[in-house]
Amino acid sequence: MTRQQKFKEWLDSCSFREVTLLVDLLVCGYLLFYYLRAVLLASDEQLSDITWLSGLLGNVIIYSIILMIASYILLALASDKELEQPMDVREKQINLIGYKYSAWILQIGLGIGIFQYQIEANPFFADKISMPFLPLHIMVVAFILAEIVFYGVQLIKGRTGAIYD
Amino acid sequence: MTDRVITNSIRTLRFLNNEMTQKQLAEAIGVTRQTVMAIEANKYSPSLEVAFKIAEVFSLPLEEVFQYKEAE
Repeated sequence: MTRQQKFKEWLDSCSFREVTLLVDLLVCGYLLFYYLRAVLLASDEQLSDITWLSGLLGNVIIYSIILMIASYILLALASDKELEQPMDVREKQINLIGYKYSAWILQIGLGIGIFQYQIEANPFFADKISMPFLPLHIMVVAFILAEIVFYGVQLIKGRTGAIYD
Repeated sequence: MTDRVITNSIRTLRFLNNEMTQKQLAEAIGVTRQTVMAIEANKYSPSLEVAFKIAEVFSLPLEEVFQYKEAE
């Protein structure tokens, strides 16, 4: 069996919901890449400029809306009426598992962000912090990571079927 | 205490019922094809309602479709 045939077989075995999750995962992956790239390549002046940061966050929101709408329109055109079908019990369980892991990442991100604020407020560490608004960056990255984990876990659990682990 | 697992004969029953596809069964019981695949592979235990619906599709009592037995 050629690689092309294998790919077609794999694509046939995918449900429409899996394709939707995969698209959401790719969109979030791109948003994380875009955000991290912008922050890591930014100059010190840009990082400390609230206008630049506001613009970056605005871009992330606009990109996420545009990409989600565009992908959903494409998926709706290709859908075999599956988009209208409600989730069955198993899919709802998988969805909940996704939310569980996603909540963990959000809690950890929020915890680290708050801890970072405490460090910055401490005069002993204040001079050693090189990145302004670091807690905000941590929370934004945690938020996008949580979305990636939410979609990724659903894809993995849906494919392996092992939802009781 | 020995481990017991829920197994099923859905694959065989589908074959015996005019080679019914997973998609046809899924539509008949109102779940996705992926769920039927997971049930057949014993990776997911269906709800009681879905189990009864499957038995109804094959016109068989529940215990002839699903078995609760010791793990091999």
